[in-house]
Amino acid sequence: MERIVKRLNLALAIAFAISLGPSVLAHHSAAMFDDAKVVEKKVTVKELQWTNPHVWLQVVIDENGKKTEWSLEGGSPNTLSRQGWRASTFKAGDVVTVRFNPMKDGSAAGQFIGAKFEADGKTIGRW
Amino acid sequence: MIIGSEVKSVTRLPSVASVIAGAALFCVVATIGADAQGTRPALPDWSGIWAMQGPTVFDRASVQPPTGRAGEPGVREAPPYTDEWEAKYRTNIDLVRQGKFPDPVSTCGTPHGFPRIMNVPDVYEFAVTPAAVYVIAENGPNVLRIYTDGRKHPASEDLWPTYNGASVGQWEGDTLVFSTISLKGSKDNDVIVDRTGLVLSDASRATTRLRRVDENTIEAQMVIEDAKALKGQWRVTKRYVKQPAGTWAWDYACAENNRNPIDPSGKTLTLGPDGKPLDK
Repeated sequence: MERIVKRLNLALAIAFAISLGPSVLAHHSAAMFDDAKVVEKKVTVKELQWTNPHVWLQVVIDENGKKTEWSLEGGSPNTLSRQGWRASTFKAGDVVTVRFNPMKDGSAAGQFIGAKFEADGKTIGRW
Repeated sequence: MIIGSEVKSVTRLPSVASVIAGAALFCVVATIGADAQGTRPALPDWSGIWAMQGPTVFDRASVQPPTGRAGEPGVREAPPYTDEWEAKYRTNIDLVRQGKFPDPVSTCGTPHGFPRIMNVPDVYEFAVTPAAVYVIAENGPNVLRIYTDGRKHPASEDLWPTYNGASVGQWEGDTLVFSTISLKGSKDNDVIVDRTGLVLSDASRATTRLRRVDENTIEAQMVIEDAKALKGQWRVTKRYVKQPAGTWAWDYACAENNRNPIDPSGKTLTLGPDGKPLDK
Protein backbone atom coordinates (compact mmCIF):
# COMPACT_ATOMS: atom_id res chain seq x y z
CA MET A 1 0.00 0.00 0.00
CA GLU A 2 2.81 2.36 0.97
CA ARG A 3 4.45 1.63 -2.35
CA ILE A 4 1.25 2.45 -4.22
CA VAL A 5 0.88 5.73 -2.32
CA LYS A 6 4.50 6.54 -3.05
CA ARG A 7 3.99 5.86 -6.75
CA LEU A 8 0.78 7.88 -6.73
CA ASN A 9 2.58 10.79 -5.08
CA LEU A 10 5.34 10.59 -7.65
CA ALA A 11 2.78 10.47 -10.46
CA LEU A 12 1.03 13.52 -9.04
CA ALA A 13 4.35 15.32 -8.70
CA ILE A 14 5.17 14.48 -12.30
CA ALA A 15 1.74 15.64 -13.48
CA PHE A 16 2.10 18.86 -11.50
CA ALA A 17 5.62 19.42 -12.78
CA ILE A 18 4.47 18.91 -16.35
CA SER A 19 1.49 21.18 -15.84
CA LEU A 20 3.71 23.91 -14.46
CA GLY A 21 6.18 23.55 -17.27
CA PRO A 22 9.29 25.70 -17.37
CA SER A 23 7.73 28.78 -15.79
CA VAL A 24 10.06 28.56 -12.80
CA LEU A 25 12.87 29.79 -15.03
CA ALA A 26 12.10 33.45 -15.46
CA HIS A 27 15.28 34.53 -17.14
CA HIS A 28 16.15 32.05 -19.87
CA SER A 29 14.78 29.43 -22.19
CA ALA A 30 14.19 26.11 -20.45
CA ALA A 31 14.64 24.17 -23.68
CA MET A 32 17.60 22.26 -22.22
CA PHE A 33 15.41 20.48 -19.66
CA ASP A 34 13.20 17.48 -20.34
CA ASP A 35 9.97 18.56 -18.68
CA ALA A 36 8.36 15.21 -19.44
CA LYS A 37 10.82 13.36 -17.22
CA VAL A 38 11.20 13.49 -13.46
CA VAL A 39 14.29 11.96 -11.89
CA GLU A 40 14.33 11.11 -8.19
CA LYS A 41 17.71 10.67 -6.46
CA LYS A 42 19.05 10.50 -2.94
CA VAL A 43 21.86 13.06 -2.71
CA THR A 44 24.13 14.89 -0.31
CA VAL A 45 23.99 18.68 -0.44
CA LYS A 46 27.28 20.39 -1.22
CA GLU A 47 26.07 23.99 -1.43
CA LEU A 48 23.03 26.16 -2.04
CA GLN A 49 23.96 29.14 -4.21
CA TRP A 50 21.33 31.64 -3.04
CA THR A 51 21.78 34.05 -5.94
CA ASN A 52 19.94 35.77 -8.76
CA PRO A 53 18.80 35.14 -11.37
CA HIS A 54 18.46 31.55 -10.13
CA VAL A 55 19.38 29.56 -7.08
CA TRP A 56 21.57 26.52 -7.69
CA LEU A 57 21.55 23.49 -5.46
CA GLN A 58 24.88 21.72 -5.81
CA VAL A 59 24.53 18.09 -4.80
CA VAL A 60 26.64 14.95 -4.88
CA ILE A 61 25.12 11.77 -6.21
CA ASP A 62 26.83 8.55 -5.09
CA GLU A 63 26.13 5.68 -7.45
CA ASN A 64 27.94 2.49 -6.53
CA GLY A 65 30.79 4.44 -5.01
CA LYS A 66 31.14 6.79 -7.95
CA LYS A 67 30.45 10.33 -6.74
CA THR A 68 29.30 12.96 -9.21
CA GLU A 69 28.39 16.61 -8.58
CA TRP A 70 25.10 17.75 -10.09
CA SER A 71 23.75 21.29 -10.50
CA LEU A 72 20.04 21.72 -9.90
CA GLU A 73 18.56 25.04 -10.98
CA GLY A 74 15.64 26.67 -9.19
CA GLY A 75 13.71 29.93 -9.36
CA SER A 76 14.97 33.29 -8.17
CA PRO A 77 15.69 33.71 -4.45
CA ASN A 78 13.09 36.50 -4.57
CA THR A 79 10.28 34.18 -5.62
CA LEU A 80 11.47 31.25 -3.55
CA SER A 81 11.71 33.37 -0.39
CA ARG A 82 8.04 34.26 -0.86
CA GLN A 83 7.35 30.52 -1.05
CA GLY A 84 9.05 29.79 2.26
CA TRP A 85 12.61 29.09 1.19
CA ARG A 86 15.53 30.69 2.99
CA ALA A 87 19.24 30.91 2.21
CA SER A 88 19.72 28.41 5.04
CA THR A 89 17.12 25.93 3.81
CA PHE A 90 19.81 23.56 2.51
CA LYS A 91 23.08 23.12 4.38
CA ALA A 92 26.22 21.32 3.28
CA GLY A 93 25.97 17.70 4.34
CA ASP A 94 22.16 17.51 4.34
CA VAL A 95 20.99 14.20 2.94
CA VAL A 96 17.89 14.70 0.82
CA THR A 97 15.88 13.01 -1.88
CA VAL A 98 15.53 15.40 -4.81
CA ARG A 99 13.23 15.41 -7.81
CA PHE A 100 14.20 17.27 -10.95
CA ASN A 101 13.70 17.51 -14.70
CA PRO A 102 16.97 16.25 -16.19
CA MET A 103 18.90 17.86 -19.02
CA LYS A 104 17.89 16.47 -22.41
CA ASP A 105 21.53 15.79 -23.25
CA GLY A 106 22.15 13.75 -20.09
CA SER A 107 24.63 16.16 -18.55
CA ALA A 108 24.88 16.51 -14.78
CA ALA A 109 22.24 19.19 -14.24
CA GLY A 110 18.51 19.58 -13.95
CA GLN A 111 15.56 21.79 -13.12
CA PHE A 112 14.74 21.47 -9.42
CA ILE A 113 11.22 20.32 -8.56
CA GLY A 114 11.30 19.40 -4.87
CA ALA A 115 13.22 17.77 -2.06
CA LYS A 116 12.60 15.67 1.04
CA PHE A 117 15.01 15.86 3.96
CA GLU A 118 16.10 12.48 5.31
CA ALA A 119 16.62 13.80 8.84
CA ASP A 120 13.06 14.91 9.55
CA GLY A 121 11.00 14.05 6.48
CA LYS A 122 10.23 17.70 5.76
CA THR A 123 9.73 18.65 2.12
CA ILE A 124 10.30 21.78 0.09
CA GLY A 125 9.24 22.72 -3.41
CA ARG A 126 6.67 20.61 -5.21
CA TRP A 127 6.49 17.19 -3.57
CA MET B 1 -46.52 65.04 24.57
CA ILE B 2 -43.05 66.33 24.70
CA ILE B 3 -41.64 62.93 24.03
CA GLY B 4 -43.96 62.47 21.11
CA SER B 5 -43.10 65.90 19.79
CA GLU B 6 -39.41 65.13 20.12
CA VAL B 7 -39.94 61.86 18.38
CA LYS B 8 -41.89 63.60 15.67
CA SER B 9 -39.18 66.22 15.32
CA VAL B 10 -36.51 63.58 15.22
CA THR B 11 -38.39 61.58 12.64
CA ARG B 12 -38.74 64.72 10.57
CA LEU B 13 -35.11 65.68 11.02
CA PRO B 14 -33.45 63.17 8.66
CA SER B 15 -35.09 64.62 5.62
CA VAL B 16 -33.64 68.04 6.43
CA ALA B 17 -30.44 66.64 7.87
CA SER B 18 -29.89 64.32 4.96
CA VAL B 19 -29.84 67.28 2.60
CA ILE B 20 -27.38 69.13 4.82
CA ALA B 21 -25.31 66.00 5.43
CA GLY B 22 -25.35 65.16 1.76
CA ALA B 23 -24.15 68.62 0.85
CA ALA B 24 -21.48 68.44 3.55
CA LEU B 25 -20.37 65.02 2.36
CA PHE B 26 -20.15 66.31 -1.19
CA CYS B 27 -17.93 69.15 0.00
CA VAL B 28 -15.72 66.77 1.99
CA VAL B 29 -15.38 64.35 -0.92
CA ALA B 30 -14.70 67.20 -3.29
CA THR B 31 -12.06 68.56 -0.93
CA ILE B 32 -10.42 65.19 -0.42
CA GLY B 33 -10.67 64.56 -4.12
CA ALA B 34 -8.79 67.67 -5.11
CA ASP B 35 -5.14 68.56 -4.96
CA ALA B 36 -3.80 71.57 -3.10
CA GLN B 37 -5.03 73.87 -5.87
CA GLY B 38 -8.41 72.16 -5.87
CA THR B 39 -8.13 71.22 -9.51
CA ARG B 40 -7.11 67.58 -9.65
CA PRO B 41 -9.11 64.54 -8.52
CA ALA B 42 -7.51 62.25 -5.97
CA LEU B 43 -5.16 59.68 -7.42
CA PRO B 44 -6.08 56.03 -6.97
CA ASP B 45 -4.30 53.88 -4.42
CA TRP B 46 -2.44 51.10 -6.20
CA SER B 47 0.01 50.50 -3.37
CA GLY B 48 1.12 47.02 -2.40
CA ILE B 49 2.74 44.15 -4.23
CA TRP B 50 1.10 42.57 -7.28
CA ALA B 51 1.79 39.50 -9.38
CA MET B 52 0.71 38.84 -12.95
CA GLN B 53 -2.11 36.36 -13.23
CA GLY B 54 -1.16 33.23 -15.15
CA PRO B 55 1.94 32.23 -17.06
CA THR B 56 4.01 34.35 -19.44
CA VAL B 57 2.12 33.68 -22.65
CA PHE B 58 1.45 37.26 -23.77
CA ASP B 59 -1.95 36.79 -25.44
CA ARG B 60 -3.60 34.11 -23.34
CA ALA B 61 -6.91 34.65 -25.15
CA SER B 62 -5.52 33.23 -28.40
CA VAL B 63 -2.82 30.79 -27.32
CA GLN B 64 -2.90 27.31 -28.79
CA PRO B 65 -3.01 24.84 -27.23
CA PRO B 66 -5.03 26.69 -24.57
CA THR B 67 -2.79 25.36 -21.78
CA GLY B 68 0.39 26.02 -23.76
CA ARG B 69 3.24 27.85 -22.11
CA ALA B 70 5.76 30.21 -23.60
CA GLY B 71 8.90 28.29 -24.50
CA GLU B 72 7.18 24.95 -25.02
CA PRO B 73 7.59 23.64 -28.56
CA GLY B 74 4.59 24.22 -30.82
CA VAL B 75 2.85 26.83 -28.67
CA ARG B 76 1.62 29.90 -30.53
CA GLU B 77 -0.71 32.86 -30.29
CA ALA B 78 -2.73 34.59 -33.00
CA PRO B 79 -1.79 38.25 -33.41
CA PRO B 80 -3.15 39.79 -36.64
CA TYR B 81 0.24 39.51 -38.34
CA THR B 82 0.89 40.51 -41.91
CA ASP B 83 2.04 37.60 -44.07
CA GLU B 84 5.65 38.72 -43.75
CA TRP B 85 5.57 38.82 -39.96
CA GLU B 86 3.53 35.64 -39.70
CA ALA B 87 6.41 34.00 -41.60
CA LYS B 88 8.87 35.50 -39.10
CA TYR B 89 6.77 34.12 -36.23
CA ARG B 90 6.72 30.66 -37.79
CA THR B 91 10.49 30.76 -38.18
CA ASN B 92 10.77 31.67 -34.50
CA ILE B 93 8.40 28.87 -33.52
CA ASP B 94 10.72 26.48 -35.36
CA LEU B 95 13.69 27.93 -33.48
CA VAL B 96 11.82 27.33 -30.20
CA ARG B 97 11.31 23.73 -31.31
CA GLN B 98 15.07 23.42 -31.92
CA GLY B 99 15.94 25.02 -28.58
CA LYS B 100 17.57 27.92 -30.43
CA PHE B 101 15.27 30.81 -29.62
CA PRO B 102 17.24 32.48 -26.85
CA ASP B 103 15.65 34.95 -24.49
CA PRO B 104 17.43 38.32 -24.94
CA VAL B 105 17.15 39.02 -21.21
CA SER B 106 19.42 36.02 -20.51
CA THR B 107 22.34 38.36 -21.10
CA CYS B 108 21.40 40.13 -17.85
CA GLY B 109 21.12 43.84 -18.53
CA THR B 110 18.87 43.83 -21.58
CA PRO B 111 15.44 45.18 -20.63
CA HIS B 112 12.33 43.20 -21.44
CA GLY B 113 10.91 46.21 -23.28
CA PHE B 114 7.30 47.22 -23.84
CA PRO B 115 4.85 45.46 -24.07
CA ARG B 116 6.73 42.54 -22.55
CA ILE B 117 7.31 44.49 -19.34
CA MET B 118 3.60 43.94 -18.66
CA ASN B 119 4.14 40.18 -19.02
CA VAL B 120 6.88 39.11 -16.63
CA PRO B 121 6.90 36.74 -13.66
CA ASP B 122 7.80 37.60 -10.06
CA VAL B 123 6.08 40.71 -8.67
CA TYR B 124 5.11 44.25 -9.62
CA GLU B 125 4.63 47.60 -7.93
CA PHE B 126 2.52 50.41 -9.40
CA ALA B 127 3.76 53.72 -8.02
CA VAL B 128 1.22 56.50 -8.60
CA THR B 129 2.51 60.05 -8.19
CA PRO B 130 1.00 63.38 -9.27
CA ALA B 131 3.37 63.73 -12.24
CA ALA B 132 4.01 60.14 -13.30
CA VAL B 133 3.11 56.51 -12.78
CA TYR B 134 5.90 53.97 -12.52
CA VAL B 135 5.33 50.31 -13.30
CA ILE B 136 8.14 48.53 -11.48
CA ALA B 137 8.72 44.91 -12.37
CA GLU B 138 10.93 43.03 -9.92
CA ASN B 139 12.05 40.70 -12.68
CA GLY B 140 14.74 42.27 -14.80
CA PRO B 141 14.42 44.64 -13.02
CA ASN B 142 12.40 46.87 -15.33
CA VAL B 143 10.72 50.25 -14.93
CA LEU B 144 8.08 51.71 -17.23
CA ARG B 145 7.75 55.47 -16.77
CA ILE B 146 4.43 57.02 -17.73
CA TYR B 147 4.38 60.80 -17.48
CA THR B 148 1.02 62.26 -16.46
CA ASP B 149 2.02 65.89 -15.97
CA GLY B 150 0.36 67.02 -19.16
CA ARG B 151 3.37 66.72 -21.43
CA LYS B 152 3.01 65.43 -24.95
CA HIS B 153 5.25 62.96 -26.73
CA PRO B 154 8.54 64.51 -27.83
CA ALA B 155 8.84 65.57 -31.46
CA SER B 156 10.03 62.76 -33.71
CA GLU B 157 13.44 64.37 -34.14
CA ASP B 158 13.86 64.30 -30.35
CA LEU B 159 13.13 60.59 -30.07
CA TRP B 160 15.12 57.45 -30.69
CA PRO B 161 13.87 53.87 -30.41
CA THR B 162 14.25 52.35 -26.97
CA TYR B 163 13.16 49.12 -25.28
CA ASN B 164 10.31 50.69 -23.31
CA GLY B 165 9.76 53.65 -25.63
CA ALA B 166 8.15 56.88 -24.44
CA SER B 167 4.86 56.88 -22.55
CA VAL B 168 2.56 59.77 -21.68
CA GLY B 169 -0.89 59.49 -20.22
CA GLN B 170 -3.80 61.09 -18.45
CA TRP B 171 -6.35 60.04 -15.89
CA GLU B 172 -9.91 59.29 -16.95
CA GLY B 173 -11.46 58.92 -13.52
CA ASP B 174 -9.56 56.06 -11.89
CA THR B 175 -8.25 54.75 -15.21
CA LEU B 176 -4.80 55.71 -16.45
CA VAL B 177 -4.85 55.92 -20.23
CA PHE B 178 -1.40 56.10 -21.76
CA SER B 179 0.21 56.00 -25.14
CA THR B 180 3.57 54.33 -25.81
CA ILE B 181 5.64 55.10 -28.90
CA SER B 182 9.26 55.01 -30.09
CA LEU B 183 9.80 51.34 -29.40
CA LYS B 184 12.93 49.57 -30.52
CA GLY B 185 11.09 46.52 -31.82
CA SER B 186 12.74 43.33 -32.95
CA LYS B 187 15.45 43.27 -35.58
CA ASP B 188 17.06 39.88 -35.10
CA ASN B 189 14.94 38.71 -32.19
CA ASP B 190 16.88 41.11 -29.97
CA VAL B 191 13.58 42.21 -28.41
CA ILE B 192 10.79 39.68 -28.02
CA VAL B 193 7.26 39.78 -26.64
CA ASP B 194 7.33 36.28 -25.24
CA ARG B 195 9.16 32.97 -25.59
CA THR B 196 6.72 31.49 -28.10
CA GLY B 197 8.61 33.62 -30.63
CA LEU B 198 6.33 36.67 -30.68
CA VAL B 199 8.00 39.83 -31.96
CA LEU B 200 6.92 43.30 -33.05
CA SER B 201 8.56 45.89 -35.27
CA ASP B 202 9.96 49.35 -34.58
CA ALA B 203 6.66 50.73 -35.89
CA SER B 204 4.76 49.26 -32.95
CA ARG B 205 2.89 51.52 -30.55
CA ALA B 206 0.18 51.02 -27.98
CA THR B 207 -2.62 52.63 -26.07
CA THR B 208 -3.08 51.10 -22.63
CA ARG B 209 -5.89 51.49 -20.13
CA LEU B 210 -4.63 50.67 -16.64
CA ARG B 211 -7.12 50.50 -13.79
CA ARG B 212 -7.92 48.78 -10.55
CA VAL B 213 -10.97 46.69 -11.33
CA ASP B 214 -11.49 45.51 -7.75
CA GLU B 215 -9.72 45.40 -4.40
CA ASN B 216 -7.39 42.61 -5.51
CA THR B 217 -6.98 43.19 -9.24
CA ILE B 218 -5.26 45.70 -11.50
CA GLU B 219 -5.95 45.32 -15.21
CA ALA B 220 -4.02 46.52 -18.26
CA GLN B 221 -5.96 46.60 -21.52
CA MET B 222 -3.51 47.13 -24.35
CA VAL B 223 -4.38 48.02 -27.92
CA ILE B 224 -1.28 47.43 -30.00
CA GLU B 225 -0.78 48.77 -33.50
CA ASP B 226 2.14 48.09 -35.79
CA ALA B 227 2.09 49.44 -39.34
CA LYS B 228 4.79 46.95 -40.40
CA ALA B 229 3.89 43.78 -38.52
CA LEU B 230 0.13 43.87 -37.92
CA LYS B 231 -2.86 44.06 -40.26
CA GLY B 232 -5.07 45.52 -37.53
CA GLN B 233 -5.27 46.28 -33.84
CA TRP B 234 -4.12 43.60 -31.42
CA ARG B 235 -5.99 43.74 -28.12
CA VAL B 236 -4.40 42.03 -25.14
CA THR B 237 -5.44 42.20 -21.49
CA LYS B 238 -3.17 41.36 -18.57
CA ARG B 239 -4.23 41.19 -14.94
CA TYR B 240 -2.24 41.54 -11.73
CA VAL B 241 -3.34 40.07 -8.43
CA LYS B 242 -2.63 41.73 -5.08
CA GLN B 243 -0.24 39.77 -2.88
CA PRO B 244 -0.69 39.40 0.88
CA ALA B 245 0.02 42.47 3.01
CA GLY B 246 3.65 42.60 4.04
CA THR B 247 4.93 40.86 0.90
CA TRP B 248 8.37 42.08 -0.12
CA ALA B 249 9.79 42.85 -3.53
CA TRP B 250 13.55 42.34 -3.63
CA ASP B 251 16.60 43.25 -5.65
CA TYR B 252 16.92 41.18 -8.79
CA ALA B 253 20.57 41.42 -9.74
CA CYS B 254 20.57 39.25 -12.83
CA ALA B 255 24.32 39.34 -13.37
CA GLU B 256 25.04 38.15 -9.83
CA ASN B 257 25.39 34.50 -10.84
CA ASN B 258 24.24 34.03 -14.43
CA ARG B 259 25.01 30.41 -15.27
CA ASN B 260 22.95 30.43 -18.46
CA PRO B 261 24.76 32.40 -21.18
CA ILE B 262 23.86 32.05 -24.86
CA ASP B 263 26.31 30.55 -27.35
CA PRO B 264 26.72 31.92 -30.91
CA SER B 265 24.25 29.37 -32.30
CA GLY B 266 21.49 30.72 -30.06
CA LYS B 267 21.59 27.80 -27.65
CA THR B 268 21.22 28.61 -23.95
CA LEU B 269 24.08 26.97 -22.07
CA THR B 270 24.16 25.62 -18.54
CA LEU B 271 27.38 26.33 -16.68
CA GLY B 272 28.75 24.26 -13.83
CA PRO B 273 29.93 25.80 -10.56
CA ASP B 274 33.38 26.18 -12.13
CA GLY B 275 31.95 28.35 -14.92
CA LYS B 276 32.48 25.75 -17.64
CA PRO B 277 29.55 24.50 -19.76
CA LEU B 278 27.98 21.27 -18.56
CA ASP B 279 26.22 20.79 -21.90
CA LYS B 280 27.29 17.77 -23.94
